[in-house]
Amino acid sequence: MRTENQKAWLFVIPVLALVAFNALVPMMTVVNYSVQETFGNNQFFWEGLGWFEQILRSDRFQAALGRQFMFTAIILAIEVPLGIIVALSMPRKGFWVPVCLVLMALPMLIPWNVVGSMWNIFTLPKIGLLGYFLNDVLGINYDMTQQPISAWITVVVMDVWHWTSLVVLLCYAGLVSIPDAYYQAAKIDGASAWSVFRYIQLPKMKAVLTIAVLLRFMDSFNIYTEPFVLTGGGPGNSTTLLSIDLVKIALGQFDLGPAAAMSLIYFAITLLVSWVFYVLMTKDDQP
Amino acid sequence: MLRSLTVIAALLPIQAMAQTAGWGSVGQQEEKGFSWTAPFWPDFWMAWTPATLVVFIGIFSAIALIGLLEGFKYRDGIERKGVLGLTTTLGDRLFITLLGSVYIFLAWLGIMGQPIWIPLFIAIGWGIFVFWKV
Repeated sequence: MRTENQKAWLFVIPVLALVAFNALVPMMTVVNYSVQETFGNNQFFWEGLGWFEQILRSDRFQAALGRQFMFTAIILAIEVPLGIIVALSMPRKGFWVPVCLVLMALPMLIPWNVVGSMWNIFTLPKIGLLGYFLNDVLGINYDMTQQPISAWITVVVMDVWHWTSLVVLLCYAGLVSIPDAYYQAAKIDGASAWSVFRYIQLPKMKAVLTIAVLLRFMDSFNIYTEPFVLTGGGPGNSTTLLSIDLVKIALGQFDLGPAAAMSLIYFAITLLVSWVFYVLMTKDDQP
Repeated sequence: MLRSLTVIAALLPIQAMAQTAGWGSVGQQEEKGFSWTAPFWPDFWMAWTPATLVVFIGIFSAIALIGLLEGFKYRDGIERKGVLGLTTTLGDRLFITLLGSVYIFLAWLGIMGQPIWIPLFIAIGWGIFVFWKV
């Protein structure tokens, strides 16, 4: 005899209907498109798995995927340690706590396309403040509209500027939840600052840090707006990340079949990495 | 008169041969049989075909079957710690099977290309392994 109350399932139905409407139906449509060819007018011709074969073997896709992984790896390698350092150096109590928190939250309040155009204007070589300063005051040859290296540095710095705060705020939340008793015990034992970090602060931050890494991974892997507004994927194809390339194929060339196949491969990668993160995150909680 | 009749009589078998070779069906409506890959409902934007419909019916019925099993027969989902060191239930195993199969097919398509009969058997083997050991 089951005694559990099953009424909660009823309250889930609206969410399920919404998800079916805005996620499941488009997803199934994408699967249908990925095995067919269309020339518009809702007429479709069977193509089989040819698009997947073509996409997986195309240099263009492999290059975009490589750039995407490189971008995500670089920003994770910068934002996570930087976020921890900033969170550790923030005050835990007193007047400056709300000031720091608000300053940290500011970049995240700015819409993504505004961040892109802000940095675009800021870094343009002749008229932008940073571009002018680097070129004409410091004499560094910097032009993110012409040089791939400059464009990459600009995109990475922009993302670090925009999203390190997220890591900072999450780590800070983990830090302030550590009771004072831990620090007192460490002081009695004569622990060094490194030992306090390694054996008290890092383990206590682990849960929020995993969430931060997961969020930053998914966001940076699916990033579109900011680099698109900043560089448009250029110069050449040097900052064409996976999502920018996908939109070019789907909406620029209107190749719905290859674009659908590409988005399914993209989805499979995101799903696998997110699942691995989820497993690592919950592994310690398991019996 | 007799000569032209002879010519026609001589041409008759050729015409019959042409008929059997398919010339007679030129301009006639082709008989439409069932095709796995033809559009189900022409002009409908979701572009369903029988083949893709069967794939989704397969996935959803697998989820439904596992859901019913976990909901009524095995309330704990046969939870266990498998070879990967993960504690998995039936639903987890289905997810790992499906995700793994996707990668088996994608890897085969990228490295070897079509047809995909061999990765189909690898994927089935992977599914059996996951439900048995993981």
